[in-house]
Parts: sequence; structure tokens; C-alpha cells
Amino acid sequence: MDSFIQAGIIGITLGAQYALLALGFTLIFGILGVINFAHGGFYVLGGYFAYAAVSDAGMPYPIAVLLAVIGTGVLGWLFEVLLVERCVDDHLATMMLTLGLYLVISNAMLIVFGPQSPHFTFPLSGTFRAGAVYVTAANLVVLAVCFVAIGALYILIYRTGLGRALRALADDRGVATAMGMRPRVLFPLAFGVATALAGLTGAIITPILSLSPNVGDPVLVSSFIVVILGGLGSIGGATVAAFIVGIIESYSSVYLGGSAGALVLFVIVLLLLVFRPFGLFGREIRRA
Amino acid sequence: MMRGIRFSAGNGVAFLLVAATAIVPFVTQNLFVYSTLNQALIGIMAAISVHVMLRMDLLTFATPPFMAIGGYAVAIVSMRFDIADVFVLGAISFFTPTLAAILLGPLVLRLRGTYFVLVTFVLSEIMQLVLFLTPRLTGGSNGLVGFPAPTVFGISLSDNQSVLLLTTGLTVVAVVIAAFTTGYFRQHFSAIEENETLAESLGLVIWHYKTLGFIVSAGISGLAGFALVNMLLMAHPSSFTSVTAVNYIAYTIVGGRASLLGTAIGAALLVFATNLLGGQGEYSEGLYGLLIILVVLIAKGGITGSAATLVQRLRVSPQPAATPSKLAQEAQR
Repeated sequence: MDSFIQAGIIGITLGAQYALLALGFTLIFGILGVINFAHGGFYVLGGYFAYAAVSDAGMPYPIAVLLAVIGTGVLGWLFEVLLVERCVDDHLATMMLTLGLYLVISNAMLIVFGPQSPHFTFPLSGTFRAGAVYVTAANLVVLAVCFVAIGALYILIYRTGLGRALRALADDRGVATAMGMRPRVLFPLAFGVATALAGLTGAIITPILSLSPNVGDPVLVSSFIVVILGGLGSIGGATVAAFIVGIIESYSSVYLGGSAGALVLFVIVLLLLVFRPFGLFGREIRRA
Repeated sequence: MMRGIRFSAGNGVAFLLVAATAIVPFVTQNLFVYSTLNQALIGIMAAISVHVMLRMDLLTFATPPFMAIGGYAVAIVSMRFDIADVFVLGAISFFTPTLAAILLGPLVLRLRGTYFVLVTFVLSEIMQLVLFLTPRLTGGSNGLVGFPAPTVFGISLSDNQSVLLLTTGLTVVAVVIAAFTTGYFRQHFSAIEENETLAESLGLVIWHYKTLGFIVSAGISGLAGFALVNMLLMAHPSSFTSVTAVNYIAYTIVGGRASLLGTAIGAALLVFATNLLGGQGEYSEGLYGLLIILVVLIAKGGITGSAATLVQRLRVSPQPAATPSKLAQEAQR
């Protein structure tokens, strides 16, 4: 029973991380119609930004995380303004652009910081205990940060004028533009918000897991899986799917052994993609 | 719709270029040249499989999994059943992935655009997991090591020259199959690339051609898998990760996605560039990234596409044509 609860807690923490990543990913797809292959790259960037700020500049960790968020957000914004904007309607071109960017980012990190994982640990140690169930303090902090960020994003999207404009653009770009929404301002903004979320996840997760130039690959894969499961472009779907994936992953690694659970999940996702491309919960948001 | 094979000059040049590499083993003994050329030819095959799908406006990540199916099939057959004949192995490496494509086609080809990209990406991830989860068949994370040299008419192809010759032979077969398919069904593929819905409404049974393209692409990937396994003397999951698909896509896009020649040139150039950088091999990924970005932004047709546009412009330019805007200006006067 204890291991059941323990796995559940790990699953929820995983789910919260996946949610942060997938929300950014789905935001970019829903609003711009762009599949962001560089999403894992921004996660890596966030990790290295925070690491550099802590170890090279000696900043306290929370400030470093904030810097990582701002840094990845600004870079995402710039990337959209300078490159993606030029061919935003061509799905093949934008896919190639973000792929290219991902290669450049992970290679740049390799050149600057080297292939070894740097020594980057979470500043809080210590564990809480209830019966035989242990939870690390770091885990709780991550969970809290994720929930706050997810909440903030929901408020931004569903309770502000900006969010309404973004949702309008996602719904029907033509009509929204005719009503005065300006894609040239809002697209880069949405992209920046999304990459900032990836950067935030990287900054808080890499000290717990690991940091190296290629940790973005699995991040991209799990973002894909979550977003497909939840329905491409659907915000609510991505959130729910993230927790489903996190919990399945955690329980299957405890009770089935890592890869088998992943395989089942991937096959489900494959079938879902084929027969219900708009996801488990979504309606069709955007024809790709 | 008009049928009949039309081989473009580009396809002919691509064929000659690839076939000409058969001379290399008789000219030089340089191992660096051998290994680079081997990689380049394998890259060309893999890129061709991407190119065939792109002819129908489908970007595929499924090249590595089909390469894995072809490569592992050959490795299993030759290591477990002692079949070494090159023609049998070649046929197995082509037809096993083809069979997989026939089974997967009805599922996967329902999707277009972004969804197709995602589903092929998931396929390549699934393939990796399957390889790790079937240690009895595929050796799991150790792979299948000690691939025996294939034989042709009883002669063993074990030295470096014959390894390269075998890769050349497979590449020539791949080029011919791709040229034949895209040449014979050129208009069908173009119609699907241009506007699938319109093509269908005009009576083109698109799933015939999409399935055909998918099957041919899978088979060619399988040939590349065979060549790769033969070069490395083993079949290993790390040779077939989804990340390698990015390289093959880069070859195609940078060289020129519209033609076989462009695809081949892109693969050859990028592989040579990576190998020449040698010690700085770690920069090659970033270099690919930058090249992809540049090509997408500046030279949409890739190397051959841009060259063709340039030639066309030079031909037309001697007399500056009256542009519509000039006419409009005159009309206003």
C-alpha cells in the first residue's frame, strides 16, 4: 500500500512537470499552428541558464530560476519574431525551422558547457515522512511551483483580455484578425510564454533529474505523447493527459518495469492519433 | 492522366553519380574515403526514402524504424539461418519493411500534415522500445553483434572494397526504384502534393499512390538498413533512433527536396562535411541546424532548387520583361 501511495505521489509530480511542458507545446500549436520541435531545447536552455546563474554568477537559486524563465521567454519571443514569423503558415517550413533551432541549441550547450552533466543540485535537501511514505522537500517545491504556474497560465488564458485574444486567434485566425487582434504582436508573445514555461520546467527539474545537452530529447517525446493524448491545441486536454501519463508512467515503472509501460502508452497514443486525432477529450481545434 | 516513364536529366545524373562510386575501390585504398563514401551512400538511400514521401507532401520520421526492420531482418536471417547470399539478403531487406508498410499504411496514411509527422515520430519511438523489449530476437540493448560477411556466387564480401561495392550496389538499386516510381507516377504524386482533396475529387484514387509511395519508401529504408548493418558488422538500436531521422530530413531539405539529384547531393555533401570536420565532429549537429534554418529562410528549394531558379533567371534576364507594376504605371499615365 505504501509503495502504491509513493508511486502515486511520484506520478502526480511527474504529471505536473509534463503539464507545464505540454501546456507550452499545445499553446504554440493551438495558436500558431506550429509544431515546436525546439521545445525540449528550451527546457535544456532553462536548465543551463539556472545552472550558470547559480554556479558562475553565484546567484541564489530562486533568482536563477526567474532569470531562466525570462531568458528562455525572450529567446522564444525573438525566435518567433525573427524566423518563425516569416513562414508561419507553412507547417513544413516551421517544423524544419524549429528542428534546426533544436539542433543549434543542444549543440551550443554542448560546446559551451561540455558533454558531461554539470554538478547542479537542488538547494533543498530533507524529506518529509508519513508512515512509510517519504516525500522529498525538493519534490514538494517542484509540485508547488508547477501548480502555481499552471494556475497562472489558466488565469492568463481564461480570465484576461490577452488570453481571450489568444483564444480567438486559436479559434479562427481570419475572423480574429478581422476583429482587430494582431497576430504579429500576439504570436511572438504566445511563443515566448510557451518557451518560458519550458525554461521554467528545465530550471526546476534538471537539478533533480540530470542536466546535459541532450536531455531535451525525452522531454520532446513526452510532450508529444501528452499533447496527442489530450488533443493537439487543447489546454484542458493537455493538463488532464499530463497527469494520466505521469501516473501511468510511475505505476508501470513500479509494477511492470520501465519500457513495457512506455510501449503500451505509445501504442495507445498511436491508435488514438489514427482514430481520434483530436485527442481523448478534445474536439477538433485545428486542422493540421 | 498521361502515363509513361519520363526520366528527367536530374535522375540520370543522380544514377550516374551513384554508379560511378563503384570505381572508387579500384582507384584508392584510403580507408577514410571508404568509410565516408559508405556513410554518404547509406545517407543517400535514407534521404531518398524521405524524398519519396515528401513528393506527396508527407514529412516522415519513419525512415529509421524501417531501416531497423530491414537491417535486423537481414542480421537475424544470416546469423540464425546461415543464409549469406547477397541477393537473398537484399530481397529480405527490401521486402520485410515493405510488408510492415503494407500493414501500417492503412493506419498511418489516413493522416496528413502535422499529424502524419507526429505518428511517424511515435512509430520510431515505438520501434526503439520494441528493440529493447525483445532481447531474444534482437539482442535487446546489446544488439546483434558479429554480422557475417554476405557472399555473392559463393565469394565472401568481407574486405573493405567489397563492403563499399555492396553499399554502392544497394544504392544504385534504391535510386533506380525511386526514379522508376516517382517517374512513372510523377503526375499522380504531384497532384497529391499540390492538393490532395482536389486530386481525389478529380477521380484519382489517392490511397493507391500514397500506399505505393509509403511501401517504396519503406523498402528503400530497408536497403539502407542492410548496408548500415553490413558496414558496422552489427545491428544495434542506437543506429536507428528517431534523432537520426532528423539527419535524413536535413539531407533532403538542404540538397533540394524536389528531386532525387538534390536529395543525393544533399546527403553526400552533409556527410562529407561532417567527416571533414573530423575532430570537430561535435559541431556537425549545430551545423545541420543552421543549414536547415538557412535553407528554409533563404533557399526554399535547397541546393538544386536554388540552382535551377538561378539558371532560369539567367536565361530570362537578357531582356528585362515588362512587369505588371510597370504596365500599371503606364496605364495610370
